[in-house]
Amino acid sequence: MPKPYQPPSNKDKETQLKEQREAESKRKAYREVKFETREVAQAKKKVKHENELNLDLPRKRYYRQRAHSNPFSDHRLDYPRSPSEMDWSKLYPETFDKSKVEIADIGCGYGGLLIKLSPEFPQSLILGMEIRVQVTQYVQDRIIALRKTHAEQYQNIAVLRSNAMKFLPNFFTKGQLSKIFFCFPDPHFKQRKHKARIVTNTLLSEYAFVLKEGGVIYTITDVEDLHNWMVQHLDEHPLFERLSKDWESQDKCVEIMYNSTEEGQKVTRNNGSKWIACYKRLPTPDDCE
Amino acid sequence: MKHPFQIVLANEAGTHLFSSVKNQILVFGLTGASQGKLIGSWIDPVDNLQPLQKQQQEKIKKLVTEVEDGDKKVKVPKIPTPGPGAPPIYNYIRSLYLSHQDKYLIGISDSDKSVLVFEIDYQNNENCINLIKRQIFPKRPSSITVDEEDDTIIVADKFGDVYSMDIKGPVIDDEKKLAPILGHVSMLSEVLIVKRNAKKFIITGDRDEHIRITNYPKTYVVKDWLFGADHKEFISVLNIPKFDDSLLISGGGDDFISLWNWHESKFITKFSIKDYVTQFLTDSHLPPERFLTEESEREMCISELIVLTSDSKHYIVILCENIPALILLELTSDLTFNYVQTFTTTFSIVDITAIEESGTIIASVDNEQDGEDKNLIQFYKLSNGKLQDASISNASISTSITELNPEIVESRHDFYPLYSVNTLRKRSEH
Repeated sequence: MPKPYQPPSNKDKETQLKEQREAESKRKAYREVKFETREVAQAKKKVKHENELNLDLPRKRYYRQRAHSNPFSDHRLDYPRSPSEMDWSKLYPETFDKSKVEIADIGCGYGGLLIKLSPEFPQSLILGMEIRVQVTQYVQDRIIALRKTHAEQYQNIAVLRSNAMKFLPNFFTKGQLSKIFFCFPDPHFKQRKHKARIVTNTLLSEYAFVLKEGGVIYTITDVEDLHNWMVQHLDEHPLFERLSKDWESQDKCVEIMYNSTEEGQKVTRNNGSKWIACYKRLPTPDDCE
Repeated sequence: MKHPFQIVLANEAGTHLFSSVKNQILVFGLTGASQGKLIGSWIDPVDNLQPLQKQQQEKIKKLVTEVEDGDKKVKVPKIPTPGPGAPPIYNYIRSLYLSHQDKYLIGISDSDKSVLVFEIDYQNNENCINLIKRQIFPKRPSSITVDEEDDTIIVADKFGDVYSMDIKGPVIDDEKKLAPILGHVSMLSEVLIVKRNAKKFIITGDRDEHIRITNYPKTYVVKDWLFGADHKEFISVLNIPKFDDSLLISGGGDDFISLWNWHESKFITKFSIKDYVTQFLTDSHLPPERFLTEESEREMCISELIVLTSDSKHYIVILCENIPALILLELTSDLTFNYVQTFTTTFSIVDITAIEESGTIIASVDNEQDGEDKNLIQFYKLSNGKLQDASISNASISTSITELNPEIVESRHDFYPLYSVNTLRKRSEH
């Protein structure tokens, strides 16, 4: 794993290492307390004393993880054998029987979009999917804390760790989703890594499968090359048609997507540009099943 | 001792046996005047390093022109040559397929990741196979199937992509220009093309236990995934029985086989073979050393599955990797599997092929012996609902084919990996 850049330090190596170890064990201890809270919230464990649990909003710095994950490696993932075997009640204890998941945020990161979408679509279940373990845990803890502090709210959002490029059909049935979001995906700049991109000709067919006719794919990125790549592949795909700038300017989700994600806010802080492309799922041709 | 045949493949009429040893393809006659004779052969002239060397040469050429243009200093890369400690290089013929009516023989070569198309001409007395096309692919092809019109080959690769390739069309020089018609994000192990109600579909099986049905030629429309059989491990065999093309039998790293109505995405039944196979498992079925723990169990996986019809009953012959036995099941008309027989053999079986009409099974066996018992090919026969050894009545063919195998090796260590299906098993990383 490549190390992030660190400014040169005057401290000797041993002190540095010691500090790193201490910081890591502190982060670990913090996450362990949060782990208990999660177990209680998912009703896997009986509540000991509420005050022993950490119910505050989680702090991001304890969950940092590098921005990339190899979608081809065999992660130890928990996924249902088929959509019918998925137990949604664990994720949506209050609302799962009212509706099915309709909105998916693929690679939801720290969950900013989910939290903003929640009040906008109170009748829909919204699912964030994230491949990085600690980032997923952060979002879980964030949702638990939000549910505690805002009674009756945030019951329609949830997150799970998954590799959406491999296992999307294990979670969703044909035409189940009405919206799929791809916000600031990993750009995978190298030519030979392009298959690892979340939008490819071949994967778009899988997204088209889980998306209902008229459903929308939302994409946003701060990397122009990646934007062009996504536009090119979505344009080429016979089951998708680009939505106009006019439509974009009137759509609530586009606005939320532009402003609410952590990555998006970082881009704004750095005065970067953001590119948006939205596509509608066209009807399946008559001669296909 | 002789190197075992990695692949055996009989044609439908049962007149010819196509086989592969290392990087060679050998064709033998099974009947008539050519019985037991070598009537066609081909050796892959490309070795594994060639594609890499070609790539480096291009790089060097580019760098040299750049140097000539400017006065930059660049490090010219070397053309790689393996050192003394380098791992062995296997120039495999990975699989063989026959098109309809024996028009073409299609092979996959590991050396340069290409699909090889041979025209078959049984009238040609010198060599009945003639290479007409060698198409290189960006990633190693893992399975292929031929369209019923015999003009298109569907190629699935280890990167999860599926390509369509014209048999007659020109070779595409830059393999990077090939565009996949569909893809999984997982290594593909099987691809089939099937027609149902005048519509065609591609069925693909992968290392993530997925079986996917896709419309063809509009491959951008996924029909469905097959769920419900609880496959927890990779898929390595998919078989659509000839007697009912709505059925699909699947198997792989799990200890059972499943029966589907693929067209209705319906799981019908499954059958556990665990009790019949476990007795044959040895320590060679343990996970590779770096994944070995105290709790590791011996692993079984299905490497071949054949459907045979005899006396209007349907039978399933199952070969599990590296065991000296075949499991025989009956598929009854009410769509259940019944256990019939565990047919034990002297040696572990590497590959099997069947001649449906006569109920003959030809097996390539992992035999290390020299002298009289050196035969590498065995014959079994399905008659009266049981498998029987038919090697004695076919002894002369078997001996003759073994003797015509040109690959003599010192010891087992010189064998190409004969059992590689279980390497598909996922060992979770993190």
